[in-house]
Amino acid sequence: MDSVLIVALLAPPLLAATVALLARGAAGAAAWFNAVTMPCSAGAASVIALRLAAGGAPVAAGAWRLDALSAVLALLVSVVTTLAAWLGPGLDRRGGPSGADVRLYRIYANLFAGTMLIAVSTSNLGVMWVAIEATTVTSALLIPWRRTKAALDASWKYLLIGSVGIALAFAGTVLAFVDYATTGGDLEMALQWTTLRAAAPALHPEVARLAFVFLLVGFGTKAGLAPTHTWLPDAHAEAPAPLSAMMSGVLLAVALYAVARWKAIVDLAIGPAFSDTLLVVVGITTIVIGCTSLLSQTQYKRLLAYSSIEHMGLACFGLALGPAGVFAALLHLAGHALAKSTAFLLSGRVYERYGSGEIGATPGLLATAPGTAVLFAAAVFALAGLPPFSLFLSEILIVQAAWRADHLVLAMLVLVLILMAFASLVTHLQRMLFGEAAPGVPRGERAQVPLVLLALPVLLLVWMGVTPPVLLQTLLTHAAEVVRP
Amino acid sequence: MDATFSRLTLIGASAMLLLALVVMWRRHVPAYIAAFRMQSISLAVVGAVVAWMGEVPELFLVAILILALKGWIVPRILTNMEVRRTGDRELHPLVNTEVSLLVSSALAVAAYEISRPLAQVVSLPTRGGLPIALALILVSLFIVVSRRQVIAQIVGFLMLENGVALLALLGAYGVPLVVELGVFLDVLLGVLVMQALVPGVGEASAGPAR
Repeated sequence: MDSVLIVALLAPPLLAATVALLARGAAGAAAWFNAVTMPCSAGAASVIALRLAAGGAPVAAGAWRLDALSAVLALLVSVVTTLAAWLGPGLDRRGGPSGADVRLYRIYANLFAGTMLIAVSTSNLGVMWVAIEATTVTSALLIPWRRTKAALDASWKYLLIGSVGIALAFAGTVLAFVDYATTGGDLEMALQWTTLRAAAPALHPEVARLAFVFLLVGFGTKAGLAPTHTWLPDAHAEAPAPLSAMMSGVLLAVALYAVARWKAIVDLAIGPAFSDTLLVVVGITTIVIGCTSLLSQTQYKRLLAYSSIEHMGLACFGLALGPAGVFAALLHLAGHALAKSTAFLLSGRVYERYGSGEIGATPGLLATAPGTAVLFAAAVFALAGLPPFSLFLSEILIVQAAWRADHLVLAMLVLVLILMAFASLVTHLQRMLFGEAAPGVPRGERAQVPLVLLALPVLLLVWMGVTPPVLLQTLLTHAAEVVRP
Repeated sequence: MDATFSRLTLIGASAMLLLALVVMWRRHVPAYIAAFRMQSISLAVVGAVVAWMGEVPELFLVAILILALKGWIVPRILTNMEVRRTGDRELHPLVNTEVSLLVSSALAVAAYEISRPLAQVVSLPTRGGLPIALALILVSLFIVVSRRQVIAQIVGFLMLENGVALLALLGAYGVPLVVELGVFLDVLLGVLVMQALVPGVGEASAGPAR
């Protein structure tokens, strides 16, 4: 049963990539295959999540093992990937990109999704590293989709900074491995999560500390944490909209997941104080950079990218605030995944309509494309932390956890920064929604189906924000226990 | 036996660090590529020595893969990129030679300092080289940050990978084989993708320092 679930989770994106690779000249069919099979992955993730929420044992088979923490991430990745597959290029019968481009997109986007799912499902922390490194390679090729100089530069910057960062994370992994080797355990099993976790109390404090610094810098680079976040705004702004949705919505969360996994091990060796302090410093710095950069943005995709930096900072800060903080951080990651991917997918529609990425060049969205405008506004409100969306709830929980952890000043600071972010986002949003559109811009919504699909994550956000489902709460509680027992 | 083992790996590790330092005063990409190739060969030799004297036969396979991938295929890809490149042949690093060497020696000292706890807990005969591996990681990071030309940056990144591989070899006789193979695959794919992206980039605007 477990192996069936794991195959159902991992196979669809890898199969879709293979089909796209083989389907030269039939890219449309490959795109449809992708869109039809991807929900199978989301379904498997839901079943796994339900089982773990009900208190079941981790879903494990061979080299794979999903505990509650993995299940949360697998669910987020598969849901966002499904949305992106539905709204990706190749399904629109009225033109769009060429068949060759569609095929390339479907190959790499699915490999990208597959590597993310492997990263969260493997039981081996070394394989997790390999998979996260592979996400850089698979996604970097799709960023120069529009073949502009800016996009190529952004892609290069992402590839270089991402690869170097992740190499440092490997150094951290190796340091932990070396440390484990000195305790005399079985080396073949050494990087298995369960083995390493059991051996963690015997690790040497000095080495564990050094390893965690490398791991935080390395995976933090991929998660868009300061000070190595500089690649993020360029890459997320230049990538095609569905890829931006996946990169911003879930890739950052997967990288933060890696940090959380290692934190759990290092905490067992040296107690949580060390990792908490580092995460607080990095988290707060990241929030400050994200929030203060929002107001001066002139392009809506860059605006969304800086908002991702802010939210990753918040989640990182939450991870340092004890069990309640970890719970809030995970809820925050879930809300951010849904809201940010929706916003990025809609940004693709805005770009199609106006042919410009500038905030100043897209006035009157409410009049020209009412459906897109309303959903986009809802997603941005969610990202701004307004009720009734779940990000409001998780931000309050993070501030509350900070308060309880005696970080009174930081709690106040974060509150002020969140308000600042809210003001900046809403200011930019109202410039886009209202005003007079240029005469040449067509009016009225053309394709209705994507709007119906994108209403789903918005409704989910409201549901999670108003009456958080009990099963979600228990799942997140179990997941938080993995990080911070 | 242990003394010879220790000395051989120490010589190999030192050679690798020296080859990273060569980059500091060379001004042309082919010299960078040559230094990387020599460094990878040294890494393969260290791997073979550990395989033989540490009695870990599977490391022979790893050493052969290092030799093939990093000693031959990757340098060839890099050379092809250099041949196709147009524009100024000479490199203009952000930091001049004197300062580069000064920074590198400071990094080496720092590496010795931060690796002290590591050298204390590892009891293998190869532990003497651990600070050198850490120094190589830091110096390579400095190469990436201080060079502007893309191929030079790629060489810096690859030397960083070599440093981590050295750390794994000396600290624990290598990571589990499945991880090792995954790393090779990633390096190969990474370099191929970098090659695909480079023609449009020219003088890179990347680097964590900006």
